[in-house]
Amino acid sequence: MTDVLTLISLLLVAASATAAVAARDPSRQALVLAVLGLALAVLFTVLQAPDVGLSQLAVGSALTPLLILLSVRKVRRRGRREDGGR
Amino acid sequence: MTGWLVAASVLLAAGFGPTVWGVATGPLERRVVAQNFGTSVVCLVMLLLAQAYARPSYVDLALVLAVLGPAGTLVYARLLAEDLTDDPPHARVLTAVAASAAVVVVAAMCLATGAGRATVKLLLIGGLLVAGNVIASRALAGGFPKGAAASRD
Repeated sequence: MTDVLTLISLLLVAASATAAVAARDPSRQALVLAVLGLALAVLFTVLQAPDVGLSQLAVGSALTPLLILLSVRKVRRRGRREDGGR
Repeated sequence: MTGWLVAASVLLAAGFGPTVWGVATGPLERRVVAQNFGTSVVCLVMLLLAQAYARPSYVDLALVLAVLGPAGTLVYARLLAEDLTDDPPHARVLTAVAASAAVVVVAAMCLATGAGRATVKLLLIGGLLVAGNVIASRALAGGFPKGAAASRD
């Protein structure tokens, strides 16, 4: 039964990682990255490494999307300002 | 012991598989809702895994996720507000499903662990999970117009 659980979480990690690579828009990619972080946390827990899963959760579910979305926002604003200045 | 493992596997496959599909395809509204649903599902899976491996310390993972998951969704609701104002996502059915699943899982685990400090922790996680789910989906649906107005300027 443990093998089945490991297999399911490995498949979910592979699927969400592929989706994260395939996404083109950075804001949508942030969402897929958050789900990839969740899948990785489950995988680490299943492999009996809950401490790694804990740090993965803390970084992956809140910090990475926040950084990506803030950068996207800043780049968009700068682009808008340069368009307006021209 | 095996029953908890089976429950965790079924919940992971049936709940998180569609989440990956929903977050990888479709419009932005559906992706945000799918991500929010995924955090609740993974939190419940962590609870079931803690019971399955008979390690109460694994419950900390669920506690951290119950706090951080809604916080992450609020980040999206705040920073993607411009893209979400046209067609705010309503997911009342999905929120109700997630909340009732949380109630069922937490109740089953409370019955299994018996009275004590662990039960208080479980009840705290369940309360955080349900409240965070409701607040996050209300924020996504544009239920707090003051925040949306502040993010527009």
